[in-house]
Amino acid sequence: MTTEVDGRRLTLSNLDKVLYPSGFTKGEVIDYHARIAPVYVPHLRSRALTFRRFPDGTDGPGFFEKRCPTHRPEWVPVALGPGDRRGGIEYCCVEETAALVWAGNMAAVEIHAPMALAADLDTPRAVVFDFDPGPHTDISTCCEIALGVRDILAAVELEGWCKTSGSKGLQLYVPLNSPGVTHAKAAEFALAAGQVLEKQQPQRVTTVMAKARRPGKIFVDWSQNAHHKTTIAPYSLRARPDPTVSTPVSWDEVEACAEGEVELRFEAADVLERVEELGDLFAPVLDTSQRLPG
Amino acid sequence: MPRPVWSGTISFGLVAIPVKLFNAVNRKSVSFNQLDERTMSRIRYRKVSDDTGDEVPDEHIIKGYEVSKGRYVVVDPDELEPFIPAATRTVDLEEFVELSEIDPVYFESAYHVAPDANPKPYVLLARAMEEAGKVGIARFVMRNKQHTAAIRAENGRLMTSTLAYADEVVSPEAIDELDGLDEVDVSAKEVKMAQSLVASLSDSFEPHKYHDDYREQVLDLIAKKAAGEEFEVPEPSDEKPKIVDLMAALEASVNAAKTARKRHPAAGKRSAAKARKSA
Repeated sequence: MTTEVDGRRLTLSNLDKVLYPSGFTKGEVIDYHARIAPVYVPHLRSRALTFRRFPDGTDGPGFFEKRCPTHRPEWVPVALGPGDRRGGIEYCCVEETAALVWAGNMAAVEIHAPMALAADLDTPRAVVFDFDPGPHTDISTCCEIALGVRDILAAVELEGWCKTSGSKGLQLYVPLNSPGVTHAKAAEFALAAGQVLEKQQPQRVTTVMAKARRPGKIFVDWSQNAHHKTTIAPYSLRARPDPTVSTPVSWDEVEACAEGEVELRFEAADVLERVEELGDLFAPVLDTSQRLPG
Repeated sequence: MPRPVWSGTISFGLVAIPVKLFNAVNRKSVSFNQLDERTMSRIRYRKVSDDTGDEVPDEHIIKGYEVSKGRYVVVDPDELEPFIPAATRTVDLEEFVELSEIDPVYFESAYHVAPDANPKPYVLLARAMEEAGKVGIARFVMRNKQHTAAIRAENGRLMTSTLAYADEVVSPEAIDELDGLDEVDVSAKEVKMAQSLVASLSDSFEPHKYHDDYREQVLDLIAKKAAGEEFEVPEPSDEKPKIVDLMAALEASVNAAKTARKRHPAAGKRSAAKARKSA
């Protein structure tokens, strides 16, 4: 089927193919991408993106695709990003709705983005805290720890915004959008904040990768701030049994979730409804300018 | 007839065995030339200055190594000369190891080793190695590059494969996606199931079963075109694709998917996933 999105010609195929065990089809993935694009694209724009594609469905093996496929439409730009032994890799950039529709057609269900823009790979635009729940913990425990980080941020006059990982965890972004910051500094700051919490609550928090999967613990993954790392992008679908989405949430919701009052789990349809009602809760991450202490 | 890519001697203790190397694998990708569609003339590359766009003659082109962004250390070919390995024309057999000890990741290009002149010492070495079941590790220089190679004997003949250097091999630790695999829980039952699947698909390796379909189709297309035959371009790409309205097409597809889920309640079991559970 050939279609046009904003003047870009695209050929879509197998819309009825079921990609999720729950029955969610490729057509529905593309439909979500087309509708969420106005809030999703700004968080992807100008970044060297990694696609995680599941042509055989989200219960199939799937694969990470860093190198942008050579069969891409000529209007999908590429950007040089962290490379391998043979040098830099050309990653896809998603600058418009049509590119998201194209990605959906390739079953690029998950889109992972680096903290830095492609034009300035050395300067992260935000610090990310990735809260990874170990056994016997859940997103509610992540929310409690995120509130702890919020207190630490407040003490140094920084503000952060949360999103669900769309899987089991939660991520907190501290926007910087200011020059002079490095990935090393961002990682150092996240580690320091994580270590403060680790000291306060040694039973529940670890900043040590090797202890990440310990029962009852939340792993505060500060290493996500490294220059070669990517984090699931806000509004990205996840490759789970259901089409859950990495969803921006308000601090009120984080508090309610920590209290066990709500469950922060959103599927594609819920997210479209939320955006209709709330707009992009993650918009401030793109333009709030803050500086790390020290 | 294949031409040798290298000739010299295998030196093994006091014995010198004259040999020639032949490529054991011929890469068969289809290569195209770029043409100007208006005149069908070949497209040529020119070396131009990044600053002026003007063509730079060879005598003004030097080598520079980028040490940091925009900073180059210029290296004269004369300065490199002392490091270029001397073309000694000998393969020095240094030690013998078990083939299974060499990780396949190290194997690069394969060559047939053929005797040059008197075949007797060659046959002796091949037999001795075959009976010992060992592989020889050797060093030699080919096209100005020092290579390490594994020489093995099979059916009375010698073959060699150049080997990657250890510091060229990418360690799995460098790949994020390979992190944390040891912590993944799998039950004994799941492993059993996977094993039975492997067992059911187990077969002997028959390389001739696998073809580069793309190359064969492209060559077929070229052959037909060259013979002046009409070649029917298979789908996709009809002359004028019908442009479908995306949202309308998606709506139909999404509705179909929803109806399908209703018909199979087991597959359509999805939680309402509302933020407010019972607040």
